[in-house]
Amino acid sequence: MVSAALRLVDAVAAQAAPQRTEIELRDVSVSYSAGKEGSKTVLSKLNLKVGAGEFVVILGETGCGKSTLLRLILGQEFPTEGVIEVDGKPVMSIDARCGYVPQKYSLFPDRTVLGNVMYGPENAKSRFLARFRPSFFAYRRKLRVEAQAYLVRMGLRPQDMNKYPHQLSGGMQQRVAIAQALLMHPPVLLLDEAFSALDPSTRASLQEQLQGVWQESKPTVVFVTHNTSEALSLGTRLILLRRHHEDLAGETNLVLDMEIPRSSLPLSMRVKSLEFQELLEHVRQLAYESSSLHTDDSESDSSVEEGTLA
Amino acid sequence: MAQPFRVSDLAGIQVRPARLWTHSLSWILFVAGIALYAHFSIVRHRENPEDRVIPSATQMIHGLKASVLEPAEEDDPLDPGATLFQQVRHSMIWKDTASSARRFFTALLLLVPAMLIGLHMAVFPYVGAFFLLFVLFFDKIVALSLLPILFIVFGIDEWSKIMLMVIGVAPTLMLDTYNIAGGVPKEQVVKAFTLKSTNLDVAYRIVLKQVLPQLINSVRLNLKPLALFLFAGEMIASTDGLAYRIAIMRRHMGMDIIIPYLLWVALLLFSLDALLRFTNRRLHPWYQPL
Repeated sequence: MVSAALRLVDAVAAQAAPQRTEIELRDVSVSYSAGKEGSKTVLSKLNLKVGAGEFVVILGETGCGKSTLLRLILGQEFPTEGVIEVDGKPVMSIDARCGYVPQKYSLFPDRTVLGNVMYGPENAKSRFLARFRPSFFAYRRKLRVEAQAYLVRMGLRPQDMNKYPHQLSGGMQQRVAIAQALLMHPPVLLLDEAFSALDPSTRASLQEQLQGVWQESKPTVVFVTHNTSEALSLGTRLILLRRHHEDLAGETNLVLDMEIPRSSLPLSMRVKSLEFQELLEHVRQLAYESSSLHTDDSESDSSVEEGTLA
Repeated sequence: MAQPFRVSDLAGIQVRPARLWTHSLSWILFVAGIALYAHFSIVRHRENPEDRVIPSATQMIHGLKASVLEPAEEDDPLDPGATLFQQVRHSMIWKDTASSARRFFTALLLLVPAMLIGLHMAVFPYVGAFFLLFVLFFDKIVALSLLPILFIVFGIDEWSKIMLMVIGVAPTLMLDTYNIAGGVPKEQVVKAFTLKSTNLDVAYRIVLKQVLPQLINSVRLNLKPLALFLFAGEMIASTDGLAYRIAIMRRHMGMDIIIPYLLWVALLLFSLDALLRFTNRRLHPWYQPL
């Protein structure tokens, strides 16, 4: 039954392959009012172009504007200066083309696992009274099978489908949250420290699953993390940000924008390779020089590597 | 396995009383109250067998019988051949309970829009900006001080009493709803929009559904203020109702009627509260109170 479900997912994924979407930020700055201290700049003069189908990882210390950048792309916040475009159109409000997985509160507590995952596609299909039409019930039955298949693929058991989020572990909740976003087949997937609250083994397993999904349907992924190892093992491109300081006035807080060399090795093997370790050291050094990132990063990195190896 | 009871457990924080202990302890104050009442009643009746301040059990049974089986003084007497059902149906307590309940539930129904305004205030920033300051100010007006105005505007019959309850409780419920709905994590709202929700979807299918258990709890907490305003209205200007009867009986020193009425009102509110709590648990199995 599981294999049949997986075949169905593959068929649906192939059928609903998301259209490619490009993200562009031009001279983007974000400042907040900070009372008597004037204003606090979070992002400064940021220029970034994310190609369709790229897996971009944004890395940086706390307060460097990683999550702000994600919220800008999402349309939850707007820049003080500059322009953000998704697919050539300026972002004016929360963009339903983006799938979003936050670190927490990602599931609706009043809905079961299936209810959470089916919420988006049901919304997209029809509204209000149209939900009472027989055709909608037929669609719902089909959607249910698809949703179950996605959930099985994300590592959930059939008996978990009718549980409420509070009955699931943190890792399970994030699996559901990813399935919830993916079932909408979004051309852009935004993940905001989505795995940071998870234990190493769950984290490693979710990293593998995310990689698998990305390789299959190639949505544009923007993944925010403060974990260097995770960043280098998952992404195709790395963006390193530093916290904006007074003495950086007028300068960008983008430290590094580099392509991550691809490897044919599986994720768990890749992190053990010499090239990976050298790259990891190089990025850590850069991060160390630009900020105090090294202090908490080294702790979380070691735990992730353990998890990935497990 | 349960630990054996030690006296020091009574002052312990990290102890888990056995079910038997919990049940026994929760009835102690009731038993003590009844015992104290009985004691003082016996003492007073020893001095004066006709005492009406603390009626004896016999007086109370007579009072209860009169309330439950006999019509009110102002009503026509019942046919002597009336069945028990007819007696109860035309009894004083039935008539008063029905009158008070009608007012109470009408007011409760009128509070639903108040909660919806609170929800909209939390979800739609412009609605919030429009209402918030006014509701905050209105909440500080002592509702009972509005009673003369309400009597002038609505007259002294039903609507003035209903409006007193609504005006007394609505601002609190609106602000409570506003705070509860405002506490829904922003991530949920953003997530809902990425899942193609409309503004109304977010307001009603995401926020309202999530806060409904807390709103029901808020209504539960406001049952007593609601009853308080009902009693104030009925005691001042009414020709029926539970509080009206208590006010009338006070003039006659009818403690044998007043005490059963007080207990009846408490029982009604307790039952309504229990019903809401039960319904809340049944309807929202996912709700995890802090």
